[in-house]
Amino acid sequence: MPFNDHYVIIGNGPAGNHAAIILREKDKEAKITIISDECVPYYYKPKLTDFIADEIAKEDLMVSFLDSYKAKDIRIRLGQEVERIDPESKTLFLQHMEKVNYSKLIIASGSRARLLPPMSCYANHLKFVTSYTDVIEVKEEIKKLKSFFIFGGDLVGFKFLRMLNSMDKTVTILICPNAFWPYNLTDDMLAQITESLSKFNADIIVKDDISTIDEQNGSYRVKTQKGIEKNVDMVFSFNGLNPNIEFAKGSGIDIDHGILVNEYLKTNIDGIYACGSCAQIYHPNIRSYTTSIGWPNAVVQGEVAAFNLLGDHKIMESVGRKYFDLEGVKIKTTWWEDIDDES
Amino acid sequence: MKKNDLYSKEEKLFQDKNKIYSAQSVKQIVYSTDVRDFGQVAKSIPCQDACPAKTNIPGYIRAVFEKRYGRAYELNRSANILPGVLGRICSRPCESGCRHGEPDNGLSVGICHLKRSCADLKPGSHRIIEGLYAPTEKKVAVIGSGPAGLAAAHDLSILGHKVVIFEGLEKPGGMLMYGIPEFRLPRDLLMLEIKNILRLGIQLKTNKAIGVDISLDQLKNEYDAVVVATGCVSPRKFDVTGEDLENVYNGLDFMKAVNEGQKPFVGDKVIVVGAGFTAVDCARSAIRLGALDVRINIRKTIEYMRIDETEKYEAQFEGIKTYSLIQPSKIIGNNNKVTAVEFQRTRMEKTDTPPYRVSIPIENSQFLVPTDSVIAALGQTPDEAVVSKDLDGLDGVFAAGDFVTGSSDVISAIAGGRKSAQAIDEYLIGEKRKQTVVRLEKHETSDRQRSYDFIGKLEMNTIDMEKRLSRATNEVETGYNDDQAHEEAKRCYLCNLEYEIDPLTCIYCSACIDVAPKDCIKMIESVPVNPDGTYGIYEETDDWNKVISIAIDNAKCIRCGQCLAVCPMDCISVTKKELIEIDT
Repeated sequence: MPFNDHYVIIGNGPAGNHAAIILREKDKEAKITIISDECVPYYYKPKLTDFIADEIAKEDLMVSFLDSYKAKDIRIRLGQEVERIDPESKTLFLQHMEKVNYSKLIIASGSRARLLPPMSCYANHLKFVTSYTDVIEVKEEIKKLKSFFIFGGDLVGFKFLRMLNSMDKTVTILICPNAFWPYNLTDDMLAQITESLSKFNADIIVKDDISTIDEQNGSYRVKTQKGIEKNVDMVFSFNGLNPNIEFAKGSGIDIDHGILVNEYLKTNIDGIYACGSCAQIYHPNIRSYTTSIGWPNAVVQGEVAAFNLLGDHKIMESVGRKYFDLEGVKIKTTWWEDIDDES
Repeated sequence: MKKNDLYSKEEKLFQDKNKIYSAQSVKQIVYSTDVRDFGQVAKSIPCQDACPAKTNIPGYIRAVFEKRYGRAYELNRSANILPGVLGRICSRPCESGCRHGEPDNGLSVGICHLKRSCADLKPGSHRIIEGLYAPTEKKVAVIGSGPAGLAAAHDLSILGHKVVIFEGLEKPGGMLMYGIPEFRLPRDLLMLEIKNILRLGIQLKTNKAIGVDISLDQLKNEYDAVVVATGCVSPRKFDVTGEDLENVYNGLDFMKAVNEGQKPFVGDKVIVVGAGFTAVDCARSAIRLGALDVRINIRKTIEYMRIDETEKYEAQFEGIKTYSLIQPSKIIGNNNKVTAVEFQRTRMEKTDTPPYRVSIPIENSQFLVPTDSVIAALGQTPDEAVVSKDLDGLDGVFAAGDFVTGSSDVISAIAGGRKSAQAIDEYLIGEKRKQTVVRLEKHETSDRQRSYDFIGKLEMNTIDMEKRLSRATNEVETGYNDDQAHEEAKRCYLCNLEYEIDPLTCIYCSACIDVAPKDCIKMIESVPVNPDGTYGIYEETDDWNKVISIAIDNAKCIRCGQCLAVCPMDCISVTKKELIEIDT
């Protein structure tokens, strides 16, 4: 019986899907499986706020439908969570106790909303806009409710603020300087962002922090450390992202904030690659590891990981988009604040 | 059928030459020295096996469940003499071993939090039990009153020896008193548990430094035996230029100053270097001294930090950031005061010898981080200027704790102290007076409900940031209340209850296999024996012609009791297995 490779990709975002497409193009015989803990096919995350506001339908949010995977002979397993990896036996252990064997593996598991440790006791009161599941849970409620509290203020947070404004909602935003951990916003940056946000109809709180969030008959009373009190219908947290890498812990794969890979996106274990926002990529030019965010970075990295898995030696030429625009303020996309290379 | 098979399991126990029978045998209690029983206990009770002091963890958790906190405290104290202290600051190797934390089983039981509950919730009227031996008229000097010295002193005193502890500093406790911050370990609790040791009649002489106030030779002459338990107090250095600048501290001196009530200068920005508990203690203390920006810097990745998840979380909670894959290459100053640290980036590399993953500096990757102070928490080594490490050949001189093992943890030091006490007693008396055996007792029930397996781990209660900063010594963790301790105790699988199927009664109906939530009941064709005489991993078969028995793999079993409930032949038995110390 001929031996066919089984390439498994953990994650169904831009990195995972573009890796799968390249693998299929270059290897017609191999078995390719994408495993995703989400229950919907590949969708466009940056448009989630448009979806909440009903500016686009669910179909417009989707990048791929189930038939397209079938057409490419890529097996997609949705709603299945990888619990751990055993690189020695090349086995993935899924939460529902199934084992999946692979010959080569690409980890493209992305990130999830970062919950600030002091807020962990209020986790049940906080809502997020990181995934389709998050959004489905709150979409209809947002339409009905009137007042919202936004805590943090990353890129998605400001986009969400714009969306709520367009829906004529009452909004309070507390801008958290460490929403981009470990990058703290300086006073100048905060002033510039506040100025830029003043065009929106929102109460803006800076240089303060949440003290308590109490639930009262289905709504919430948010108290800040400086004594401001707000009664709101919903509280949203936007404090950046954390890589989804718990399943790789203890497997022998080098992990730091994300999964450590070299410039070829290869981990320290043969046959295992990582890409997208779950990967911390070593870049020879800056002599450091860096994590990227954003759709275009993830697409390129997924493709590079796939080429290299098939035997190529493509180097991630750029660390991706190094800066993004936060209401007029340039914020670096890398983990380390002291990288000062704008080239 | 072999003749032996005519006997019941209990009857077979009585025939075994390795079993010690007592008057309690009528209650079907047997004390075993059989290596197979020790092997089974080690394999079946991974939490206890991981504990250096071999604490009877399932035993005391069951007592917590029954709200018998005094009993739970005593079970703890029989293995480690500082339960309240360890319930707060133990490095928790047991929780890494806990079967509840294995894949598919959820999170490990909050063993350490439950240990603390024993101390916190025991009744005020509780009296400590000590199994005293008659006085021997032998005198033993213990040098150092840290955990190893205290444990050795306690056990030697129990055995009837007259013990004097020589402590170089003003207060007893060693690292517990001077190395660990009060917000993690309240000093009144520490002193209470130390006094509970000293009340046996142990004499404590403080401000008596070995090599300064008294010499080892002097002690050798005046005492029948001497225990060196001076720990590791010589800090490792950066070995980079600039480390002698002002406001550059070593972690141990920094914590000692803080714990003596001083307020060392830290400024707004603090750089801590190190990946262990001391580094986090220094960073959290710096926050309480008013620092605004505290960063911990480590050479490897966060995964390699030698602290538990709780400490990582608390450090993050208090706003401390961790920067990984960097190491200091130079400390820079102005007017003799530190102003910045030059770091060099590192990357992980494989090695063929332990520790297998190392961090390698990356050339030309240096960068500067401005700072007001630097704290090096890089670990410690024994101070050989005080006592030479080479004690071989010195008759009557023993050593224990970190002085022997190098910098380790408190529970290992206590275990080391107790071990040295046994060796000294044997040296002084000429015979072994205590031995560890496996106590086997028939148990009628599983003591558990299947619903307990789905209870989520209960996090420790803590005070908010405002209270943490309002008084630097405010204890951060506040302990479980009675109901919380009871609920968390339900989560323990009680791995000390071992399940067995009697193959002679079993009708192979497979009802037990059908209800077992884990792959723990197996058709086996052989039971290999390890070189040390213990049983190996069962060899399974699905060929009925090869099946010699149906067996419960107690290393996989989560003690849900489902098999016990469903067996139509009552052929499944439960035996409680515990390690205990008895007189020889």
